[in-house]
Amino acid sequence: MKKNAAAPRKLSTLLDRDNVAGYVFILPFIIGVIAFTAIPFFTSLYLAFTEYNVLSDPKWVGLANFKEMFFEDDLFWTSFWVTFKFAFIQVPIKLTVALLVAMVLAKATKATSFYRAAFYIPSLMGGSVAIALLWKQLFSPRGVVNQVLGFLGLPDDTAWLGNPKTALGTLIALGVWQFGSSMLIFLAAIKNIPQSYHEAAIVDGAGPVKRFFSITLPMLTPIIFFNLINQVIGAFQAFNSSYLITQGKPLNTTLYYGVHLYNKAFDQFKMGYGCAMAWFMLLVIAFFTALIFRSSSAWVYYESEGK
Amino acid sequence: MKKKRILASLAATMMVAGLLAGCGGTSSTAASGDGTASAATGEAADAAAASGDSGKTVLNVLWWGSQTRHELTTAMLEKFEELNPDIDVVMDYSDWGGYWTKLPAQVAGGQTPDVFQMDYAYLAQYVENGVLADLTPYIEDGSLDMSNVEQSILDSGSIDGKTYAISTGTNAPVMLYRKDVTDELGIEMPMNPTMSEYCEISKQVYEATGLRDTFVTSCSADNLRFRLRNYGMNLYNEDATALGFDDPQYIVDMWQLALDSQNEGWGMKPGEETATTAFDSMINDSWSRYQNSNELQAYRDATGKDISMVMIPNTDDATASATYLKPAMFWCVGADSDVKEAAVRFIDFFANNEACYDIVGIERAVPISSAMREYVAPTLDEVSQEVVEFIDYVSQPDMASPLMNPDPDSHTEIADLLGQYSEQVRYGEITDLATTAQQFMDEANQILADAAASAE
Repeated sequence: MKKNAAAPRKLSTLLDRDNVAGYVFILPFIIGVIAFTAIPFFTSLYLAFTEYNVLSDPKWVGLANFKEMFFEDDLFWTSFWVTFKFAFIQVPIKLTVALLVAMVLAKATKATSFYRAAFYIPSLMGGSVAIALLWKQLFSPRGVVNQVLGFLGLPDDTAWLGNPKTALGTLIALGVWQFGSSMLIFLAAIKNIPQSYHEAAIVDGAGPVKRFFSITLPMLTPIIFFNLINQVIGAFQAFNSSYLITQGKPLNTTLYYGVHLYNKAFDQFKMGYGCAMAWFMLLVIAFFTALIFRSSSAWVYYESEGK
Repeated sequence: MKKKRILASLAATMMVAGLLAGCGGTSSTAASGDGTASAATGEAADAAAASGDSGKTVLNVLWWGSQTRHELTTAMLEKFEELNPDIDVVMDYSDWGGYWTKLPAQVAGGQTPDVFQMDYAYLAQYVENGVLADLTPYIEDGSLDMSNVEQSILDSGSIDGKTYAISTGTNAPVMLYRKDVTDELGIEMPMNPTMSEYCEISKQVYEATGLRDTFVTSCSADNLRFRLRNYGMNLYNEDATALGFDDPQYIVDMWQLALDSQNEGWGMKPGEETATTAFDSMINDSWSRYQNSNELQAYRDATGKDISMVMIPNTDDATASATYLKPAMFWCVGADSDVKEAAVRFIDFFANNEACYDIVGIERAVPISSAMREYVAPTLDEVSQEVVEFIDYVSQPDMASPLMNPDPDSHTEIADLLGQYSEQVRYGEITDLATTAQQFMDEANQILADAAASAE
């Protein structure tokens, strides 16, 4: 503050220049990006080629981390396939459920605003520790799910999260349950489809199913595209549910890539290895995002293109 | 136009000021954990002189523990501040699991706390990396009074003749158990049970209550270590260049016992735990649990059950006791601390001051100073009395066997590896136990050999 008073002339000429105010306004953002994104980003790229246990200085080891990843660490591939399976089962189910619920809620009745909020709440609480623990309780051997099954006369002794056959499915169900944000985006898009298209189709004698597949679905493809990319990226980075609920157990069937990375980096303190894993995942995500983008010309319909 | 510009520069100044305050705040709260540390203390911690506006020395203290410990330690540190008006303590704490990511992060960030807790298992690693200050000069000049402390206790925190860490007290691994349950069933737990005695009681408890065992089924590295100690060995050899045993049968026996207990029902089957915390486990799943003797109070507080303890069961044909007496934890001083004098004053307070023990009792285990042991003895409540008696019991000749060396850096990786195989065995995925045990040993030896090679 004192400096401002000491050099008012200089400051005022500086502030007179075009754009200066603008730069000043984005300065906090730029500082943030440099300090919290750019520097860690490039540091982690460097660390990926080192052996680093945090306490002592990083030691350059070249490609050794990648060699260990691809050829020596069985759990690396296990975790990779688990994540792959998780992403490719969860994302389609989640988007389908989101779209179906959005279709139902698009019709304005008195109750819909309540239901919209109700379906969105799980997404708000999605990544939280509380929800993970809730899930753990629900699906524990003596949990509510088994009690309900028992009440219905079904087998009620499954340890959902402890059985290698059901554990990943239980975590996928938790992911699907949090379909709210995709649903909300679908909902907005559905309401944006001009009513006149539907009216014209009705005049032509099209039923609701025909109208869904010929009008609603094509008009929604840009939004499906957007949701798909978001969800695929999110699924590859999945961490919370496994870390908090199963810690990768049983028999590594829920060992997400992110959890394995965390174990290596923060449990065994192989930070270099963790960084190498993170960079490999970045490439994998980039590959699938590019793939979805490439495929989009075949199935995404933009009205403005007049196709 | 002019008005706009003034407004803009004002807003920008505020933003930058806010950002700077934010940065300053991070460094102070990183070490404080609660919001009470003012910006002034944060700056003070940053400044080389480490004296704040009020001229007080800022001392950052970090520890791990349960809620019981956090409350007692906070009260104890407030007492320390009262007796040392020139020192302002910034407290920070975490649970055990979070501590070992928090401390390394602070060390890597150049924010090593001035005083912090250390565990025996990690001591060598932190000394090797130069994180800990050598306390020998302070002991020699008397500012750290160790005159009432036995040499063996000082040695437990010493490496190559230099003392880096001061033990807070002595404890031992124990088997905690639900005394309310065994009393109800009319079962008397032997103070030094054999494995068969323990298994027999586990069966009875399971048949009467449904509570199962989580000790023999854990098949962890600690579990294997107890078994090896029964035959005079440790997980690792003397200089940790290889495993300390070469017969896979020890692992096979451990796995076989776990499988038998699962098949008979009294051992916890994998994936069937319902508890979300260790405390929960002692209420809902299990009637016994392997912990450390100083944790008895915390377990009683958290579970509200009548929990008692006995020694870790020894195998029936054991030639040595699995139990050892070990420093419960240490206090250490950061090598780069600017306030080492204040840090040492705190450790001296903890070791020798009656006011400290009026508050903390023996929560960090039985005091190392003989004078303090005498001082606390008559003031102890029933639970603490039990802990002291337990340590006295284990201290009798031949009850405990000598403490092993601290574990090497690669211990976590090897423990994880054993956990992987144990899980597969317990799920019945692996049935050829002998081959698998040998496979684990080969891989673990490889990890140790690689680590030894890269250290050279």
